Amino acid sequence: MKKSLYYIVYLMLVVLVPAGLATEASAQSVRVTGRVISQSDGNTEETIPGVSVAIKGTTLGTVTDTDGSYSIEVPSGDAVLVFSFIGYSTEEIRVGGQTNINVTLTPDITTLEEIVVVGAVVKRQDLTGAVAHATDEQLRQQPVSTVSQAMQGRMAGVLVQNDPRPGANGTTVQIRGNNSLQFGTNPIVVVDGLIMDGGLNLINPNDIASIDVLKDASATALYGSRASNGVVVITTKKGKKGEGHITYDGWIGVQELTRIMPRLGTKDLFDLRVDAFANAYMDNNPGANRQQYINDQILNENNSVAFAPYEFDAYRNNQSYDWLDRVIRTGRQQNHTLGFSRGNDDGSIYVSFNYVDQKGVVQNAGYQRYTGRFNGEQNIKPWLKIGTATSYSRSEDQFTEGSVFNIANGANPMMAITDTANYLKWAGIVDQNLYNPLRSLRIKGDSYQTRLMSSNYVAMNPLEGLNLRSTFSADVMDKRDFWYTPNDIGQSLRNSTDGTASQRNDHWLNWQWDNSVTYDKIINEKHVVSGLATFSLQKNNWDYNQVDAKGFASNDFTYKYINGAFNKDQFQVASDFVTTTIVSYLGRVNYTYNDRYYATVTVRRDGSSKFGTGNKWGTFPSVVLAWNMAKEPFLESLNLDQLKLRAGYGRVGNQNIPNYAYLTLYRAQVTGTNVDYKPEGTLGNSSVGWESQKQVNVGLDVAVLNNRLTLTADYFNTDNTNLLMRRTLPLTSGFSSTIANVGVLNNHGVELTANASIVNTQDLRWSVSANFTATRNKIKALYGDVDAIYNRGGYTGVEMQREGNYFVGESVNSIYVYKFDKIAQESDMARVSEMQLGRKVRPGDILPLDRDSDGDIDDDDRYAVGRKDPKFYGGFTTDLSYKGFSLNAIFNYNYGSKRISGLYEGYMNGTGMYAAHEDMLNRWTPTNTNTDVPRAYNGGDRYGYGDVDLGVQNASFLRLSALTLAYNLPNSLVQKIKANTFRVYVTGSNVFLVTKYKGYDPETGDDFPNSRMLVTGVNISF
Amino acid sequence: MNTKNIILGLTVILLMVSSCSDFLDQGPQTALSREDAFKDVEKLDKVITGLYNRWRETRKDRGGFIFSLGTDETQQGAYQVRTEAQQASLDKYDATLTASNNALTGQWNSRWPVIVDAATAIISLEGNTQGDAQREMLLGEACFIRAAVTFEIAQYWGGIPVLDLAKTAEYGTTRQPLPVVYDLVIRDLERAIQYLPEDQADKRRATKGAAQALLGKVYLYAPEESGARDYAKARDQFQTVINSGKYQLVPNVATLWDPNSPNPVESIFSFQFSNVWPDNNQCQWQTGSRSIANLNQYAYFGGYDLLLPTAFCYSDASEGGLWEDGDARKDASIRYDFVYNGQTPEIAAGFGGDELDPHIKKYEDIRLDGTQSFWYSGKNIYYLRYADILLCYAECLNELGSTGEAVSTVNTVRQRAWGGVLPADKEWSAGMGQEEFRDKIMDERMRELCFEGWRRMDLIRSGKFRQLILARNKWTADANAIQDYHRRYPIPLDEIKQNDEIDEEDQNEGYSNQ
Repeated sequence: MKKSLYYIVYLMLVVLVPAGLATEASAQSVRVTGRVISQSDGNTEETIPGVSVAIKGTTLGTVTDTDGSYSIEVPSGDAVLVFSFIGYSTEEIRVGGQTNINVTLTPDITTLEEIVVVGAVVKRQDLTGAVAHATDEQLRQQPVSTVSQAMQGRMAGVLVQNDPRPGANGTTVQIRGNNSLQFGTNPIVVVDGLIMDGGLNLINPNDIASIDVLKDASATALYGSRASNGVVVITTKKGKKGEGHITYDGWIGVQELTRIMPRLGTKDLFDLRVDAFANAYMDNNPGANRQQYINDQILNENNSVAFAPYEFDAYRNNQSYDWLDRVIRTGRQQNHTLGFSRGNDDGSIYVSFNYVDQKGVVQNAGYQRYTGRFNGEQNIKPWLKIGTATSYSRSEDQFTEGSVFNIANGANPMMAITDTANYLKWAGIVDQNLYNPLRSLRIKGDSYQTRLMSSNYVAMNPLEGLNLRSTFSADVMDKRDFWYTPNDIGQSLRNSTDGTASQRNDHWLNWQWDNSVTYDKIINEKHVVSGLATFSLQKNNWDYNQVDAKGFASNDFTYKYINGAFNKDQFQVASDFVTTTIVSYLGRVNYTYNDRYYATVTVRRDGSSKFGTGNKWGTFPSVVLAWNMAKEPFLESLNLDQLKLRAGYGRVGNQNIPNYAYLTLYRAQVTGTNVDYKPEGTLGNSSVGWESQKQVNVGLDVAVLNNRLTLTADYFNTDNTNLLMRRTLPLTSGFSSTIANVGVLNNHGVELTANASIVNTQDLRWSVSANFTATRNKIKALYGDVDAIYNRGGYTGVEMQREGNYFVGESVNSIYVYKFDKIAQESDMARVSEMQLGRKVRPGDILPLDRDSDGDIDDDDRYAVGRKDPKFYGGFTTDLSYKGFSLNAIFNYNYGSKRISGLYEGYMNGTGMYAAHEDMLNRWTPTNTNTDVPRAYNGGDRYGYGDVDLGVQNASFLRLSALTLAYNLPNSLVQKIKANTFRVYVTGSNVFLVTKYKGYDPETGDDFPNSRMLVTGVNISF
Repeated sequence: MNTKNIILGLTVILLMVSSCSDFLDQGPQTALSREDAFKDVEKLDKVITGLYNRWRETRKDRGGFIFSLGTDETQQGAYQVRTEAQQASLDKYDATLTASNNALTGQWNSRWPVIVDAATAIISLEGNTQGDAQREMLLGEACFIRAAVTFEIAQYWGGIPVLDLAKTAEYGTTRQPLPVVYDLVIRDLERAIQYLPEDQADKRRATKGAAQALLGKVYLYAPEESGARDYAKARDQFQTVINSGKYQLVPNVATLWDPNSPNPVESIFSFQFSNVWPDNNQCQWQTGSRSIANLNQYAYFGGYDLLLPTAFCYSDASEGGLWEDGDARKDASIRYDFVYNGQTPEIAAGFGGDELDPHIKKYEDIRLDGTQSFWYSGKNIYYLRYADILLCYAECLNELGSTGEAVSTVNTVRQRAWGGVLPADKEWSAGMGQEEFRDKIMDERMRELCFEGWRRMDLIRSGKFRQLILARNKWTADANAIQDYHRRYPIPLDEIKQNDEIDEEDQNEGYSNQ
C-alpha cells in the first residue's frame, strides 16, 4: 500500500514540478511580432491577451501576452499565421515578407465554440457549471478504438473502468462516484444531441471533435430527468472553412497478457493435497499415526484415497500441464480511419470511414467494427439552415464461451492436456461443472450489431439573436446473437441437449424530437442575456425474440440451420415488447454582466412512463453564479488571465429503473400443455417515483502566465434522496424484492485539474497535466428505522453476499465480512474451545475476530470491513516535443480501493483439489506458524479466505497506460508528397502496472485477462 | 416572416404535442398486473394452477430433500458431508446448524410466496361474484393449498406468521401461537372439503378426498401445544376417505414406482411431473450414485448422492435393520445392485466411499435410460397416498383404544407388501398392546413410505425425534450433538433481518442467529 502510494506521489512530482529552466531556442528564420486587439462595435480598442498564434499546418505557435503582444519564429515567408481566441472569429494571415503583423479580431457570439445540448446550440462558455472538456488532440494521443478508453484518466471526476475483452462492451464510466445505488449508475451519453442508451463503443473516436462531461447539477440540469449520474456530451467533427482535407489515421498493435498467475506446479500441488488430506484425517482421528495414514492410504498407488493413477504419473515424472497456455494467445488489433472534410460560408461536410479489427488474448475472442459518418450543414436561406449528423455502424463480436478462461485458470496441472475428455478431473472425480476448456472452445458465439444514429435539424434565425431549432433524431439498433454448442461436448452431454443452437434478435427504435427557442441579446455592451426554452419528446421501443433449438445430428451447420434440430420437446422460444416515453420542458436564462458576473437559471420538468399515475412528473431547477475576478480592477495588478469563482446548486433526477416497477406482474408460463400465471417475484410499488439529487458545486478556474498554467478546482456535495433500488423483502411478504425509493446517500468530493505549459519554445515544448479526484459516499438513511439492507444471492440464491449490502453510515460499495483475527495457534485452542464458532477452528485455521467479544462468532461480528471506492484516483500526462519528435505518457492511478479476487480465493482454498497460488507454499504448518496463510485442509467446514477480510484486497494501482513516441516529418519532406502533415508513432499501451492486487488486474478483475499492447501508427493529412 | 407569426406557430406546435396526454401511459404489453390477474375468475383459474405448480416446485431437486436430511431413514452422502459443511450440519445437528443455513432459508423462502398468493386468491374470491361453481371450486383449491403449505412450515418451524388477509391488521407478519396457526389450517381444509369436487380431470388439482385426507393428517400431526391434535376427528376424516371407495391399494407395490403407470388408484394427490423441462424434478440427480454417473451420464440410476438410506433403513431385520424377508417393498424402494449393462462401477479416489452403498430407488426413471441425463428424471411424487391414510387411520384407532382394529388395518397394507398373501409369521397380532403398536408403526411407516417425505414429521409428532435419529443416522451419531430442540428448524436469519416483526429474540430455542 505504502509503496504504491509512494510511486504515485513520486511520479506526479516528477511530471508536475515546473522545470522553469527551459532555455530559449535560438532564432534561425524570420521573427514576426505584433499585437492583437479586439474590435468591439467600433468603439474602444482593447488588447487581447492569451490569443493563440499558430503557424498553420504545424503544431508550432505561441500566445499573446498581457498587452496583446506576440513574437514568433516562422520558418519562411510562405507560412500562414492563424490567430484564434474563444469568442472571436479566427483570422489567417500570410506572413509574406512582413515582420510586424497587427491583427484585429471581431467578437462573434455565433462562432463561440458551440455544442448541441437538449436540441439547442449552446455556447460552451454558457455551461457555467463544472464541465470537464477533452479535445480531439488530447483524445488522439492514445491509439484506441473506443471513446471510453480515450477518456480514461483524462478528466477529473470521471472514472473509466475498461473491459479488456475485444470490443470492450463491458466498460463502465462513472462520474463523481456513486449517486445512485443500483439503477442508472452510468452517465447518459449524448452524441450530437441524441441521447444514446449504451453502445458508446460503437462511436469511432476519430470522429470526435470534443467531449464535454457535465458533472454538477447546474450543468446536468439541462438533462434533468436522466442526469443524476452525469452527462457525457460528444460533439463530432464538422468540415472546417477553407481548403478541403483528406486524413488517414491508422495503427496496428500486438497484445499479450500483462500477468500470469503464479500457480503451483504438480510437485507442490501434490504435497499440498497430501497435507490437506492428512490434516483432515488427523482432525477426525486425533491421536492416529499421520505418517502411516499418508503411506498407507494417500501414497498407496493401488488404493489411494487422494490421488488417481494419472496424478501419480504426473508426480513421478514431475510433469505440470499448463491448460491456461492452451487457451490464450497473442492478440492483435488494427484500426484505420479515412476522413474527408470541407467547409465554406454556406455549409460544411465531414465524411469518414473506420475499420477496427481485434483478436483477443483468449482464443476465439474477436471484434470487428465498421463505421461511416456523414455530418453536413447547409444554409438554405439567409435565415434557414439545415444539418445532419448521421452515422452507421456495424460490429461483429466473436465470443469465447464464458467458462473457458476460468476453468483453464483452475485446471489440474496433474491432468494431461487432452481435447477428448469432456470434463476435467480431480483425484479421478469427473466434475461435470468443469467442462474441458479445449472442447468449450468449439462453442461458437457470434454477435452482430448494426446501428443507425441520425440527428437532423432545421434552424431558423428570423430575427437578430432569435434562433429556432427543431431536431428529429432516431437511433435504430439491431443486435443479433448466435450461439452453437456442439452435440458432443460436456455441456451437451450434461444437459442431454444433443447440441444447442440459439438465435436472438433484439431491436431498438428510439426517437427523440427536440424543439428549442434561443434568444441572445447584448444590451449596452455590458449585459449579455440569452434565453432558452425547449420541449422534447422521447420514445424508446425495444423488442426481442429468441429461439433455442436442441438436438443436432451433426455439427456441420452450427446455428445456421435450426430446421435440422430434432429435440422438439426441449425447444424454447421467447419474446417481449417494451415501450417507454419521456416528455420534457426546459427553460434557461443566462446573464452576463461586463464579462465578470455570470448567472444561469434552469428549470426542467420531466414526465416518465416508468412511474405510475401521480408519480410521473418531476421538476428539476438549478442556479449557478460565477464571478471572473481577474477582470476586476483591484486584481489587475496580479496579471491573472483568469480567476473565476463558480457556485451552483441544482436538482436532477433518475428514472432508470426496471420497467413497470409500479406494478406486480404476472406472466403466462407453460408447463406441459398448460398455461399458468405466475408472478415475477418483484412486488409492484405504486408509489415509486423519481430519484432526486441535490447538488452544490463550488469551483475555481485560474489561469496565469499567459494561460500557461491553468488550474481548475471543484468541490461538490450531493444529497441523493428517494434512491431507487431493488430492495429485498422478507419472503413472508410473498415476494423477494420490490423497487422502492429508499434512503439518502451523500456523496461529496473534490476535483483538481492542472495544466502547465512548462517549456514553450519553437523547438522544445513540454507540457504536463494532472487530475485528481477524491470522493466519499455514505448512506445517511435507508427507510423507516432500518439500518441495513442485505443482498442475497450465490449458488442457492439465499446466501448473504459480501457486496451489494447497504448499511447506514457506510459506503454503498462496502464489503461485508468477518474481520480476520489471526491464524489460530496451538496456544489459542483453550480460548477457541470456549467459543461458539459455527465452524471448525484448529491450529492453522482462520479465526475471525470476535468483535463484540461475546465469545461467539456470529452475525454481530460481521461488518463492513472495507469499501471498493478509491480514496482518490485520476491521471497525469506529460507531453514533450522537440522539433518533429514528441514523447507523450499517460498515467492512471487509483488509491485506496478494495477488491475481491474470486480467482485468488479459489487458489487459496487449501484443499489441494483445485489449482493453487504460490502463496500456499507459505501455508501454516506446525513448523511455519508465523504466517497469515491457513493450513491445508480437505473439507468445507472451516473459515475460508472469502469469509474474512483476508480475501479483501488492496486494489490501489499506478498504471502507465500509454507511452507514445511520435515523429512529425519535416515540412519539406511532407510537401514533397503533397501532404499537410505526416506523423508516425509507436505506442506501448498498459506498459506497466504497480499494484498489490493478487488477481489478474485491480481494475478489470479476473474474468478476462488484461493485456499490454505495442502499437505502431501513422496520421496523414492531405 | 415576422415575429408574431413565428411565436404563434411555435405555440401551436407546443400545444399540439403537449396535448397527447397519453404519451406517458405505457403499460406492460406482455404481462398482467396483479389486480387484473386476481380480478377475473378465468384468470384466477390460471393463477391457481400456477399455485399448484409453484407448490410442486418445492419438491424438486435438492430442495425437495432438505427436510429428509438428518432423519433416521435417510442421511447425506459422505462426499457432500465432507465438502458442504453447512448442508452437512442438517445431518450432524452440530454448532454449524444456525439461522443462516442456506438450505433451510431456501425452503422457507420458496414456500411463503405460495401462501401469500393463495391468501390473496382467497380474499379476492370471497369478494368475487362471478360464476358460483367455478368460483367456489377455486376458493376450495386456494384454501387447500394455503392449508397444506402452512401446515408443512408449521410442522418444521413451529409458530409462524399467519396469512389471513382479513386479519392483516391483527396478525401482521409476526409469529403466531400454534393454536392460531392450526386453526387457520383446519378452517381452510373444512372449506376445501366443502367446495372441492369429488373428482378432477386435471390431475394437478386437489379433490375433496385430498382435503379430507390432509385434514385427517393435520388432526393427527398437530403438536399437542396447538390444541388441535384430535385422534377422533382424524379417524373420522380418514374413515370418510376410506369409505368413499375411490381409492384402493394397487396389488403390486412395484407398480407404484413405474413411470408408465402414473396416478394409480392409490394416489389421492400427487405432484405431476414429466421428463421435459421445466416439468422434470431432477430427483434422481440427488438420490442416485456418483459412481454410476462417472460410468455413464445417461445411466438411469446415476446421481450425486445427496440423500442415501441409513444403514438401518437398508438393512435386514436380522442385522438389526428394517426389512423382514419377503417384503416386496424392500426391492421396490432401495437399489442394492449397481452393475450397469454389465459394467461394474468403481469408487474413485476423492469420493466419499458410500457411493455404492444401497441407494434410494423410488425416483429412478427408466424412461431416460441411455438417452438422457438423470437430471431429467420426472416421475410424479406422491403427496397423499392411500396406504399412508390406512396407516394413519390405524394409528388413530390405536390411540382411541381400538388396537385390534388398528392391527387389522396395518395387516391389509402388509398383505399387499407380501404380494397379496401375508405369511402368518408376518401378520401383526391382534393382541398387540397400544404402546407396542406405537413403536412398531414407526418402522412400518418407514417400510411403506420411506423417501416420500413424511419421515421428519412422523419423528416429530411421535416424540422419538432425537432418540431414533441419534441411533440410526451415521452423521448424527458421529457428531453426537443432537438435542430435542432440533425438532424445530431455526427461523432464517434472512427473515429475521428483513421482517420488522420478527426479532432475534423470536428465534426458536437453542439456535444462535449466526
